[in-house]
Amino acid sequence: MTTISKEHSDRLYWLGRYTERAFTTLRTIQKLYDKMLDKSKGYADYLKCFGLYDSYGSNEAFINSFLYDGSNANSVAYSLERAYDNGIVLREEISTHSLSFLQLAKDSLAKSELSKNTRLSLLPLEDQLYAFWGCLNEYIYNDEIRNIIYIGKTIERLDLYIRMAYPFDTTQKEYIRLMKNLERAPKGTPYRYNTANYSELVKIMENEDGYKQNSEKVIGCLEHLFEPLEVTV
Amino acid sequence: MTQQNIEQFTKAVGNANEINELLRRYGVKFGIYKNGVFNEQFFPFDPIPRVIASEDFKSIEKGLVQRVNALNEFLFDIYHEKNIVRDGIIPENFIYISKGYLAQCEGITPPNRIYSHISGIDLVQAKDGEWYILEDNLRIPSGASYPLIARELTRIAAPEAFSENEIVDNRNYAQLLKETMEYTNCGGIRAILTPGRYNAAYFEHSYLAEHTGSVLVQNDELFVEDNILYHRTYSGGKTRIGVLYRRIADEYLDPLNFLPESLIGIPNLMEVYRSGNVGIINAPGNGVADDKGIYYFVPKMIKYYLGEDPILKNAPTYLPFYEEDMKYVMDNLEKLVIKDVAEAGGYGVVFGRELTKEKLEEFRRTIIAEPRRFIAQEVIDFLDLPILDNGETVMRKADLRAFVLSGETTRVWASGLTRFSRNPDSFVVNSSQGGGFKDTWVLK
Repeated sequence: MTTISKEHSDRLYWLGRYTERAFTTLRTIQKLYDKMLDKSKGYADYLKCFGLYDSYGSNEAFINSFLYDGSNANSVAYSLERAYDNGIVLREEISTHSLSFLQLAKDSLAKSELSKNTRLSLLPLEDQLYAFWGCLNEYIYNDEIRNIIYIGKTIERLDLYIRMAYPFDTTQKEYIRLMKNLERAPKGTPYRYNTANYSELVKIMENEDGYKQNSEKVIGCLEHLFEPLEVTV
Repeated sequence: MTQQNIEQFTKAVGNANEINELLRRYGVKFGIYKNGVFNEQFFPFDPIPRVIASEDFKSIEKGLVQRVNALNEFLFDIYHEKNIVRDGIIPENFIYISKGYLAQCEGITPPNRIYSHISGIDLVQAKDGEWYILEDNLRIPSGASYPLIARELTRIAAPEAFSENEIVDNRNYAQLLKETMEYTNCGGIRAILTPGRYNAAYFEHSYLAEHTGSVLVQNDELFVEDNILYHRTYSGGKTRIGVLYRRIADEYLDPLNFLPESLIGIPNLMEVYRSGNVGIINAPGNGVADDKGIYYFVPKMIKYYLGEDPILKNAPTYLPFYEEDMKYVMDNLEKLVIKDVAEAGGYGVVFGRELTKEKLEEFRRTIIAEPRRFIAQEVIDFLDLPILDNGETVMRKADLRAFVLSGETTRVWASGLTRFSRNPDSFVVNSSQGGGFKDTWVLK
């Protein structure tokens, strides 16, 4: 008895995007944390990747803001809250169990803020996000629903990897995942790719040179992939 | 086993914090608006259950089935022949000035003639053990999901409480609801209509949708075409809805039939319903039967429609509308509880003993001016239940909302929502007023 409305399909897509954003940001900040042990302002390159101004001044201020500050749209706290906001209206699709891992992740982040050892305290959060994805696979029987979430997830990951100039082979793996997810979207649904942007994306990602020279274009293609501008195939 | 085994239960169910942590994890929340701001709160759970002995429950069950069957008969009668009015059992005045009476429902016979599919009947137990009905809720009674998930989690947190005691498993509510919905299904999928994320009972809407395998919908996902109700899909298609468990009030259901300014309704839904193309749970227009004024007449309804004596008693109630009752109310105002029939959720309830002399006189004048607006009841000295408060057991007022599901047969869910007041001086148990809840164990 499944019928997916436009509203819910948007929510599923953004659930995937925000959960992935929280996860990749979390992992990146953990790497940065390690770097900061040896370097002041060890976050400077990260800010540059996203075109962000350095208003933090210290490693500690950066960490606090990018982990815990719910008003910072690039923080883990912000992304988790948005993921939960989307998840809470999808309970019957994703299950109470899956949703509970987002609640646990939020609680772990809140506890982490009070902890003396930031990195250790973040480990449960990472586990809970892995568990969330596992739980989705366990509880969602409708492939169409699962696929929309995964399209959101892979687009977000690809977008972040490209902005952070990840190596081609890593990015390409995510690109291949995205292609597979897009192929699974039934014809006539909004997640069937847009011809022009899809073709452009395929062309650029054919080889490493194309990727290196046109990474901004890739981000643009991803952003507009589902805009109903042209005939869908 | 009786409620007196407090220590045993307290020990068995363990630490309240563990269960409340689990409830938090699973998002057991309710929303309230205060000063125009929406706040979502976790619903405080007390681990000491209310315990109802098997024999006691059998008697309650029988009484509730009888009451709900009579109320369903009443609703059919009121929207068709109105024999109960014609025969002088209920004054006409009480029907037509009730806000719950909807002329738009005249002549409509819902699928299988059932109006109240899910009835939430509020009871209290007096100190002598007698149960009294406080209120019938036949529109959109909420609360079943809380004890349902609490039981699931309590069984995890305190397994020995269930292996050592013979307790009826209450985790069949979703199945009962699904069967009730299917019995009303006019052909199509099952859907639960919610006003949205910021409704006080949104957790319940989404939890019941998940566990009944229904689609949770909002009005903008629905439309009527050729007198059929459809769900609009994201690919531009449509799926027929056969039964709609709506969790929005009658007046907002269909802007073309009720409040035109409703932004959460579905235009023409009533036409589809009138044509028998969709079942609506509960039927629109039920408010006429759970009006606080009509409550007074329910024992008479039971006699009238079923030819039986009521098994469960009403709390002693007076209608200032009747001269004799008005005199009693005026003479005893300070010891009665007065309820505004138009209010719900614990609002509009005034205890005479809590009013100053001046306020009492002012209230007296209001009752004289608007006698139909109020009912007066004796304050029942109801049984206090033990709750854990910071590790100590204290006694608090509590009621029980029993859920009665009407489908092929009328069935009482062997559980219910026990709500308690956290304030030692208060009789008001509603969650919106800060109350908490307990599990309700029916013993085998």
